[in-house]
Amino acid sequence: MAYISMGEAHRRITDYLNNFSDAIAAQDGALLRHLVSFSFNNPKLLSVADALNVFQDVSRLIRNSSEMLSPLLRALQCYKLGQLVEAYNSYEKFANAFLQEFRNWESAWALEALYAVCYEIRIIAERADRELASNGKTPDKLKAAGSFLMKVFGVLAGKGPKRVGALHVTCQLFKIYFKLGTVHLCRSIIRSIETARIFDFEEFPPRDKVTYMYYTGRLEVFNEKFPAADQKLSYALAHCHPDHEANIRMILKYLIPVKLSIGILPGNLLLEKYKLLEYTDVVLALRRGDLRLLRSALQQHEDRFLRSGVYLVLEKLELQVYRRLLKKIYTIQKHKDPSKAHQVKLDIIVKALKWLQIDMDADEVECIVAILIYKNLIKGYFAHKSKVVVLSKQDPFPKLNGKPVDS
Amino acid sequence: MWRNHPTESYSNYSGISSSLSSSTYSNFSSQTKWQRISNKSMSREINHSSVCRPYRVPLMEDDSTDRDYTTAQSIVGTCPIMCPEKERIQREGLRDLAIFERLNGNPRKSSSSLAVKKFCRTISLKEIQASDLRPLSVLEDTLDHLMKLLESSDHSFLLLHDFIFDRIRSIRQDISMQNINNDQVICMYQKMVRFYVTSHHKLRRCEGDSTTLSSIHHLNMEQLTKCLGSLYNLYDMNRNFESIFDNEAEFRSLYVLLHLDSQSNSAGESLSLWFSRLSSFIISSKEMCFARTVLRSFRMGNFWRFFHTIASESTYMQFCIIEPFILEVRAHALACINSSGYKLHPYPLRTLSNILMIGELDLESFCNASGLQTSHDDVGNKVLPTKQTGFSHPKGGFQCNVFSWLELLKKDVRQSEFSSASDSC
Repeated sequence: MAYISMGEAHRRITDYLNNFSDAIAAQDGALLRHLVSFSFNNPKLLSVADALNVFQDVSRLIRNSSEMLSPLLRALQCYKLGQLVEAYNSYEKFANAFLQEFRNWESAWALEALYAVCYEIRIIAERADRELASNGKTPDKLKAAGSFLMKVFGVLAGKGPKRVGALHVTCQLFKIYFKLGTVHLCRSIIRSIETARIFDFEEFPPRDKVTYMYYTGRLEVFNEKFPAADQKLSYALAHCHPDHEANIRMILKYLIPVKLSIGILPGNLLLEKYKLLEYTDVVLALRRGDLRLLRSALQQHEDRFLRSGVYLVLEKLELQVYRRLLKKIYTIQKHKDPSKAHQVKLDIIVKALKWLQIDMDADEVECIVAILIYKNLIKGYFAHKSKVVVLSKQDPFPKLNGKPVDS
Repeated sequence: MWRNHPTESYSNYSGISSSLSSSTYSNFSSQTKWQRISNKSMSREINHSSVCRPYRVPLMEDDSTDRDYTTAQSIVGTCPIMCPEKERIQREGLRDLAIFERLNGNPRKSSSSLAVKKFCRTISLKEIQASDLRPLSVLEDTLDHLMKLLESSDHSFLLLHDFIFDRIRSIRQDISMQNINNDQVICMYQKMVRFYVTSHHKLRRCEGDSTTLSSIHHLNMEQLTKCLGSLYNLYDMNRNFESIFDNEAEFRSLYVLLHLDSQSNSAGESLSLWFSRLSSFIISSKEMCFARTVLRSFRMGNFWRFFHTIASESTYMQFCIIEPFILEVRAHALACINSSGYKLHPYPLRTLSNILMIGELDLESFCNASGLQTSHDDVGNKVLPTKQTGFSHPKGGFQCNVFSWLELLKKDVRQSEFSSASDSC
């Protein structure tokens, strides 16, 4: 760290303080946003932090807004010094004071800055939690940040122009709840957004709507409500800016399993473009009726699929794979002898599975055939004594029609 | 000893992820360094101060959720016997002694080796004195005393259950008031969960008024899930990299089995979410693989694999949890066969009884309960004609269709597990 003279330190700090007051006086949201955002490691901001180490008695310099500025400066100083827990505590104090002022400002000019505060408090909280954990203490700062954001939501949930910010804050809360695994807490805030009369979903900024639909879509995936998941994630995909490839990839990661479960397969080009190669084999297995490939694909990426919560969705595809396999056998038989094609011996299916290195009892095959018929995935019946599946002569493999396989 | 030896076990754990239950730290490159208490804690003579951990996290369950025991200073109990003398004398005077506490059957007299502290719902931490609380070693002895009672067959299970149910709730209350959450507590919680699980199974076979039984069953389930949740927290709190808990995988697998039909229940945490936070070590365990196979078969409706898997791999506890779902799977099997089978080939009951792990006669009753007629073929074997129109899902009270199962298990190896719940951890 280069040597800074007292004079230089004094200058940097007063500049910062003046900028802050000016921003408020001029209602300059963009400037204010810069002043409160630490995590981008803006060199100018960090240089102020250095100055704070030199110039000890900062309170002398703070004329007004001391409830905000005093903790803000302390947070900045601690942040630069790598003391993230202290930084968080001070930033939270600042944030609360800021929120109080924000309440009093009439128009929504400071929304941008408020968003920045919400973002920063979350990021600093995450880092503070890492520091706590490495010292053997309970990490509870991210949870505290969540409580603060709920307060912000409360302030924004009113009739004035500030209410358009509510969805943005909701999304920040989602990120916290997902990270903490306390996903059930999303429920109450979703209810507020979707049922409160003051909110009109269409009024919210498009970016926030996409993020919102992404997270609520993911929740539907967790709860295996596929039609709802499809609707939400598809909305997010449709309204996501085409250049935001990383975001599109995240949406697709969850949308693809949902689509697969209603029988809609993505093309390989899509998977390659967005680097979702973990689904390649799954899709191939579905196309081919290759049960072995499905199982090995699930095995290979088990950890990844389990962590993202799509494993159980993909597992269900087995029935579709059986159906496809049966269809293939039927098609082959049709080529050989069209008049007898609709009768498929259970033994043939057992043989086909053996060829795929899957050992299955004829009784189990019969059981699966019975299920396929019962669920209308194939039309026909099975004759137990003759150990044969008799497929209907007309349309034995009806299309899935966009309904989830289980319903 | 239920803990693996430190030096031997490390090489097995290439699969252990350093992640804790919260996914927040999954990208943390270095291992989080939870301060570990020394191995001294394994010995039983430990005194309580050395069992202190750097931080205290409350056991999640307590019977009044707004009690926060962490903010208070941790008390260490000093009551040397299973029931504080004050309480015993009071209850003797009020003739409020359970059968198992009576000395020579006298309803007015107990003793220090028979009386067990009762559960008290309305206790607040401020009123508690150290002399009212039993320290860990006494609690362990108390639990063992209660578990031994289970082995006696002098009294009906209902009576036993009622007594033990209450007294172990009191044990848990003492534990959480003292904020103890070490390995020994894990051992105790495992025993208690085992009790609830076997009760879950046995209560379905008790005779009596069905409304009462049903509510006892429900309360038992409530405590089962609370206790299991606390046990999971204890595992997470006590995790380190040198040893594992031998039984953790089995106890974790119970969660999956409890939620086999989780899709209908939107209130609880989804299984997908639950799996996303599970450590790789547990996921790859035999018990968890079993639970996942059962889950997969159940959801797909693959009744063949469902029964086959249970018959070949289930432990006693796992079976107790799965049992209530068996009715549904059997009904589904009947529905599938009835709707998909060829009309001229009635399905032989013998084959079906093997697949569904149920005796032929019981299967016949079950078919009838589902609105299906059975019949005979030319040589007198029982068969199920298909394409019947009268099928309906049999209504299950929790007690209904309890068919004998054990006789149908082919593997003798499993029988020994079924005879009595082992009392080791």
